[in-house]
Amino acid sequence: MTTVDAFPSDTVTRTDGEPPVVLRVDDLRVTFTRGGREIHAVNGLSYTVRRGRMLAIIGESGSGKSVSVRALMGLLPPSAVVEGSALLGDEQLVGRTDRAMRAIRGRDVSMVFQDPARSLNPTMSVGAQIVEAVRAHRPLPKREAAARAVELLKLVRLSAPERRFHEYPHQLSGGMRQRVMIAIALAADPKVLIADEATTALDVTTQAQIMELLVDLQERLGTAIIMISHDLGLAASYADEVLVMYAGRAVEHAPTSTLFGNVRMPYTAALLGAIPQLTTPSHARLTVIGGHPPDLGALPEGCAFRERCPRATERCIERPPLEEHEPAHAYACWHPVDQRAGDVLGPLTETGDVKEEAR
Amino acid sequence: MSSVPVERAPAPPGEVRERAERGESPLGRLTGSPLVRLIVRRVLVAIPLLLAISVLVFVLLEAMPGDPARNQAGMDATEEEVEAVRKSMGLDRPAHERYLSWLFGALTGDLGRSSVSGLPVSQLLAERMPVTFELVFLAFVISLGIALPVAMLAARKPGGVFDRIVMVGSMTLLAVPNYVLALLLVIVFAVTLRMLPSIGFTPIEVGLWPNLQSVILPTLALAIPLGCFYARFLRGDLVEQMNSADYVDTARAKGLGPWRILWQHAFRNSSFGLLTIVGLNVGALVGGTVIIEQIFAMPGLGQLMLQGVGARDTAVVQICVFIFAAVAVFANLFVDVMYAVLDPRIRYGGR
Amino acid sequence: MAVADTTTRALLSPTIGVERSIRWARIRKRLVIGVPAAIVVLLFAACFVGPYVLPLPAPIGGDVLNSSRPPGTPGHPLGTDVNGNDVLSRLLHGGQASLIVAVAVNAIGLIVGGLIGALSAYLGGKADTIIMRALDVLIAFPSLVLTIAIAQVLGPSLPNTILALSAFSIPGVARVARSSTLRVTSMPFVQAAALGGSPWWRTLLFHIAPNVLPQLLNFAMLGMGIVIVTEGALSFLGLGIPAPAPSWGNMIYEGQQSLSATPLLVLWPSLALLLAVLSFNLLGENVRDEMSGR
Repeated sequence: MTTVDAFPSDTVTRTDGEPPVVLRVDDLRVTFTRGGREIHAVNGLSYTVRRGRMLAIIGESGSGKSVSVRALMGLLPPSAVVEGSALLGDEQLVGRTDRAMRAIRGRDVSMVFQDPARSLNPTMSVGAQIVEAVRAHRPLPKREAAARAVELLKLVRLSAPERRFHEYPHQLSGGMRQRVMIAIALAADPKVLIADEATTALDVTTQAQIMELLVDLQERLGTAIIMISHDLGLAASYADEVLVMYAGRAVEHAPTSTLFGNVRMPYTAALLGAIPQLTTPSHARLTVIGGHPPDLGALPEGCAFRERCPRATERCIERPPLEEHEPAHAYACWHPVDQRAGDVLGPLTETGDVKEEAR
Repeated sequence: MSSVPVERAPAPPGEVRERAERGESPLGRLTGSPLVRLIVRRVLVAIPLLLAISVLVFVLLEAMPGDPARNQAGMDATEEEVEAVRKSMGLDRPAHERYLSWLFGALTGDLGRSSVSGLPVSQLLAERMPVTFELVFLAFVISLGIALPVAMLAARKPGGVFDRIVMVGSMTLLAVPNYVLALLLVIVFAVTLRMLPSIGFTPIEVGLWPNLQSVILPTLALAIPLGCFYARFLRGDLVEQMNSADYVDTARAKGLGPWRILWQHAFRNSSFGLLTIVGLNVGALVGGTVIIEQIFAMPGLGQLMLQGVGARDTAVVQICVFIFAAVAVFANLFVDVMYAVLDPRIRYGGR
Repeated sequence: MAVADTTTRALLSPTIGVERSIRWARIRKRLVIGVPAAIVVLLFAACFVGPYVLPLPAPIGGDVLNSSRPPGTPGHPLGTDVNGNDVLSRLLHGGQASLIVAVAVNAIGLIVGGLIGALSAYLGGKADTIIMRALDVLIAFPSLVLTIAIAQVLGPSLPNTILALSAFSIPGVARVARSSTLRVTSMPFVQAAALGGSPWWRTLLFHIAPNVLPQLLNFAMLGMGIVIVTEGALSFLGLGIPAPAPSWGNMIYEGQQSLSATPLLVLWPSLALLLAVLSFNLLGENVRDEMSGR
């Protein structure tokens, strides 16, 4: 047992037995101006995060997933324009000054970054860095803060935590460093923890260990987790809810089992289809999704996936809205994939046959 | 001397890192024997270098035109008299003998006599080194004392007004040679404002304030170009880190304020690069005293060397040049050692 | 920035600014290279062409009766010095001397130093160590001290000044050339060229040299400033260009002699020095930035 403060029970539990909402994002938009062009990195993103749940936000490079969560923490350059709403309890995160955001960062929302080797200060001991996180929001005397740091190291399942406290980042392995990062992120008991590709730089075994740790911490502490990744498999294994992003927008959003049990968006289907299977013959070409992700500064009219989608028709020039076409399963497509009707996952032809090879 | 040429140093010296990678024990204390071994090893490498330097100096002085014996004997001396003087100065022996006897003498404390004044060189050194030392020490402290706060303030708001002023100002001041700056300072403070003396050195015994007054202008002439160089370097490094270092992201995500991030995270990492260039420029700082002391008529080592050069005073020049070079070598050695002490990656070897 | 892909990283980089700053950055870039380059050209033109084009008196042999005239005296735009020589004329001729020395020293340094460095890297092993140790000895000396020692041995004159200054320029260039060559030769494309059967001189000329040159040139540019300053120091101390021939350094020295009476005599050569050094420094710094694609 740890002495971590119990999660403040403030929000009302919904009558349907669902845990309370801790973060409500509504029509989040982030725009950059570059070279005279407006780049719409995030284009109207909405979701809610509940206590103790994990939301996975999946997307390609440039889909806006990292930018959207950085907007929540106010970690964007001053030239970024953030609009919309992000309510953390009663606090509105959009439009806050940097100084006001400093109170939120680490205390209510915290983040774990991708590369633990570079995300830790090489000149400070691991313990000192955790203590810094602890004391950022609570003026504890050094000794108490150090004790709490050691507890946190135990919480993230690091062996010999007292010794680790004095060690430096370069003396630890990648997995251990990432645990330290998690300890830092949890130092002030945040309501939401954002893991931005937190396991991408780790080998598969360590990846699993870290994910298991995160799930365990979720259960113990009640922290909500937003997991940013491009790895659908990871989302399928660990997340409660999945949101697929494309060109700055959510294109499919559902609880994990619903989404993977009945994929609707052609884009998601193509992503799944691109995953090599154990049963794929050894010399088969890897399937790719033809074309490139769209230029966020010059988005095409209508559905952003239109140019790469084999199911696209003229109708797609009108952008399909993200709607909950089925209970708890929202997607934005006029021609969704229908697995039950025999559509196979992978880059699809109009007739539903799997293409032999993609462009 | 303008200290512009020194390039920014990257990682610690390869040899030191090598040793770390071979696996040092993760002790939390300074007294690990690997550190002592490192120091000893670097000192051992420095010794042949110093010897080679002394040989080179000797060779150079051998090549100097002019006959010290004749100078000493005087213009109207006869050949016999000159020969007698030559013998008494030991100049009739072959070169390598003279070098070895000089070396032996130096190691035992006998540095010979000045051919100009007849005084023992060691006495001259004892008189003059404190002056140069005060100059160098003050200049060193002031240059860093200016550079650090200025760089931090500039890096706090890159592109801001202060930053731009600092960048332009330091660029200009850097380009001013220290002897020109010295004269400009004299024009402003001694000639026009009449606030400070233009030449001369007042020893501390006379009074602290008069001493400082006599020393402040030459010190500034030395400190300002160096300080500008350090400020530019540090500001650049700090800004680069604040913009792109991942651990700065982490620090921000913790909710830390910008000054804390600048100091605790950015500066701590920049300090290594700064340490290196400071060490590399000690030679320039010390060499600069030669010309600065000349301008301000300060009775220091630099002035001694110049006078010796002009008067073909071999014994004096030999030791002065050697001292200047030795200081530079030791400064570099010191920097290497400080690296090993301060950088946790070296002190506690890696995985 | 702790972000995965390069597109996002680029977006998050704080160098993204408002539209205006993009245009301003482009203008600034042109200014920061163009202006110093123009100044350098002007300096060379003024010093090498000026004296033969402008109606100026000779830099030496002036009339003592004509001494210390203020600027604006007819026939002497910048006045005369203590010996009656025209200041502007001395300034331009002095510039000739200083610039010749600077160019010569850097050229020698580049060629000789570059060769030594590249050779040392190419030979490797014991020869490399010996050469580098020898250079270390030279580099250990504070530059001014070394040049004073050598200049004293050789005696003050223009060619000797060039030699003395080369002594401290060559080891520095050699070091940079060696590390640069080592870095380049270890790159895959050089090894590929060698494996592909390219003779060593071809590899050197077409593969190695073009990649080593930018760094060397940048070093040389910065070196111009340092050499000018050091030559000034030498001449100031009487060990460089011998009086009465003018050089910016010895003009400053002469100016110092009458500092309280005629401070301007120190200011003109100082300004010239400052301008030259600043321009070379700016050029060196920004050409390097250009080349490294900043």
